Amino acid sequence: MLLAVALAACSDSTEPPPSPTPTAVTAFDGDNQQAQAAVALPQPLRARVTDAEAQPVSGVTVSWSVVSGGGSVSPTSSVTDANGIAATTFTLGGHAGAQTAQAAVTGLTGSPVVFTATLILTSSHDIALVATVPIPPNYGMHDTYVRDGLAFAFAWNTGVRIYDVGNGIAGGTPAAPARVGSLVTNGSVDATDPSVHNGWWFHNPATNETRYLFVGQEGPGSIGTSSRGDIHVVDVSDLAHPVEVAFFHHAPVDGQPAGVHNFWMDEEHAILYAAYYNAGVVALDVSGTLSGDLSSRVIDEIRPGGAGNTYVWGVMLAGDGSLYASDMLSGFWHLKLQSGAFSVLGGGNNVAQQFTSDLWVHGGAGYSGTWETRTLPGNDVKVWNLSSGNPVASAAIAIPDVGTISDLQVSDDGRWMAVTAEYGTGAGLYVYSLANPLVPALLASFPVASPSGGLHTGTIASINGRDYVFAARDPSPESPAMMIFDVTEAVR
Amino acid sequence: MVDASTFNGQLRLTGMANLEGLTIPDGVPSMGAWGEGFVDRRHPHTYAHEIMLSGQQHFSEETVSGASFAMGKGFAPFGSDDPMVRPFLSYPVNHHLAQILERLVAVVAVRAGPVIAEAGVFNGDEPTGPDDWPELSRFGDSWSGRLTLLPLPGLEVQGSYAELNSPEHEGGEGLDQTKWSTSARLERATRAGRAYALLEWASTEEGGDVFAYHSVLAEAALHGRVLGLAYRFERTERPEEQRADEPFRTIRPQLDNSILGRSRWSIHTVALDAALADDWPGLSVAPFVEVSAGRVTSLTPASFDPVAFYGRDTFWSITAGVRIGLGMRLHRMGRYGVALPEMPAHDASPHHEMMH
Repeated sequence: MLLAVALAACSDSTEPPPSPTPTAVTAFDGDNQQAQAAVALPQPLRARVTDAEAQPVSGVTVSWSVVSGGGSVSPTSSVTDANGIAATTFTLGGHAGAQTAQAAVTGLTGSPVVFTATLILTSSHDIALVATVPIPPNYGMHDTYVRDGLAFAFAWNTGVRIYDVGNGIAGGTPAAPARVGSLVTNGSVDATDPSVHNGWWFHNPATNETRYLFVGQEGPGSIGTSSRGDIHVVDVSDLAHPVEVAFFHHAPVDGQPAGVHNFWMDEEHAILYAAYYNAGVVALDVSGTLSGDLSSRVIDEIRPGGAGNTYVWGVMLAGDGSLYASDMLSGFWHLKLQSGAFSVLGGGNNVAQQFTSDLWVHGGAGYSGTWETRTLPGNDVKVWNLSSGNPVASAAIAIPDVGTISDLQVSDDGRWMAVTAEYGTGAGLYVYSLANPLVPALLASFPVASPSGGLHTGTIASINGRDYVFAARDPSPESPAMMIFDVTEAVR
Repeated sequence: MVDASTFNGQLRLTGMANLEGLTIPDGVPSMGAWGEGFVDRRHPHTYAHEIMLSGQQHFSEETVSGASFAMGKGFAPFGSDDPMVRPFLSYPVNHHLAQILERLVAVVAVRAGPVIAEAGVFNGDEPTGPDDWPELSRFGDSWSGRLTLLPLPGLEVQGSYAELNSPEHEGGEGLDQTKWSTSARLERATRAGRAYALLEWASTEEGGDVFAYHSVLAEAALHGRVLGLAYRFERTERPEEQRADEPFRTIRPQLDNSILGRSRWSIHTVALDAALADDWPGLSVAPFVEVSAGRVTSLTPASFDPVAFYGRDTFWSITAGVRIGLGMRLHRMGRYGVALPEMPAHDASPHHEMMH
């Protein structure tokens, strides 16, 4: 009897206590840290799981994920230890401002727990605004082309203005541009206003001629449906007295007018690639003397997204002969022109949340902007891995509080990238380090903030050993202007 | 508000100050509304909504026929009445298709019996904010004309045409517009109160024939001594434009003169109100409730998907409030001098303040 009692007592004392039931998850530590882009926060993010008595609960799996900022967490799940704590490492992305990650346990009070971190700019140097060149408010200024110390400002109904910014012909500098010439190009059968939008100054390596400036006219359009505007060819042999000598007008597509947007040139082969909105991409033979109507110069054209899904913003030729195109509706494409015929090699239908804007490719990486809201705001720079040739989505850098990423360009050496943003308190110029081309890291920014303005485009130029961005300021709320930024120190 | 006349009515000053810029600087939610940089919100009007001086001379004492000249800030002779003086609180989507307002305008009108002809010149630029004034340098760059027939008492039929220079770009470099409007308006006194109806078609072409927007609208109201019931249907096309960082605002000036696409809004609205405080001279109190249900469809589905953007393509709204009037009645805005037809006899119902 005594033995039985003793056994019973022993049995009671060795039974494990009932498992505590987890009821809540909270941030333990790791919140509100700072780091540079692509760098892990100094301390891990740690979350604590407790029961109803506020006692730690071990063995609970916590899921970790990035909410905003484009960074990463590792591991993506971890199990609480004897102190009820689970941890992960948060590596920041390249986004400006705050970035967030979260810890989640389904069914627990407080889940998800959000941790906030702040990106530290990797450059301590500011962008310096060295000149603001007023442009008559005849709607605005849209783009700049800079080469050989000359800046061509494409200023809508004011036409093309040519400035010496270091060429030497008129003593101009980036801080004090000197105007050497101007021209208002003609209208077209679809659009009577000059609507001067963009251009490319053709340096023909075969002849060493620098005679022709191709000017894009942007008439009114409706996305996915119609566009208007011709290519105008200007003879700039005499920079003080440029003369329009030729034009190219695209015939209507599916009964709708088609107009031109951005250019790229294969100068070696004298081929002008033109983004042509609803007409897709057009390749023109611009060899020899250009005069009058160039409609017979079409090599080929392609609508990569097909009818109703094509509205091409920009094109760019890569070193291997690949042609990349950004289409507002159908995203980032890989094309090629071979034996006079275009073909689609890959990509496309890969940006659904916003409209796609400009693009740039360098090495094994590509970048494209976004604008307007389809389901998400157009404030992303999409990063593409091009190692296989075809674009593979790699990352997205969001610029907070903007509505449009309208332009981007990578420096010739591939070290850095300039991005212009519009419409919001975050509008302005951003420069990123491309030390890791697939993870751009913000170096510095210059606000040109406005709810209905900002910087429309930015063009990188190296002049007398310094790096500049020539940017087009929108016509609201101030007057349009060509803003010239010295970014040398920021990108070093 | 001011409505004063002298010289036996031959010289008349009409005006209205509008403080919406202070009370609703960010506009007010309104299904499908657009214009002056707002979208899905009706914009505030300018502080000086209307200041018009008109002189008129009848051809004889016994006739309504005559001629008039009016000048000031007000309405171009085009289209139908300002929605502000119609039975509904919510503005129709077609406001910027069917009226041209807040311009520096000079209007000549001639009336011969039941026929009224008006012509006006004005500045094309529309306001960019509540404190904005017309660009003086642009006065005369736009014009409009309206022909009105008065075949029966209380019934007027008008057709009008306008050419506007760059309304959406203050500097004059935007797209020009060509506008058409025709409408039939009936207003009759009844034994218990009043009956009102408007049938309207309006069209705007922008940049030649680059963009075209059309609207049909029908509305009617029946007011007794206390209760009033009104119904409106409209089907209106509007541009879909790039939105600013704030989703209820669009970019001004619109870059590239381009749009995302076009959408069509079909909206039914029913309003019920009650006229109270009828015994107080000059005071009107009219609580009301207004319900709208509508659908939006895209005319350019590749570029604007309402379901993706809004999360749905059907909407409804309910608005309740009290209209309080003290002092003089709202006058009928949009017509001056002999172009303002005489109103039918009516009682003193406060309902008139919603429609005049």
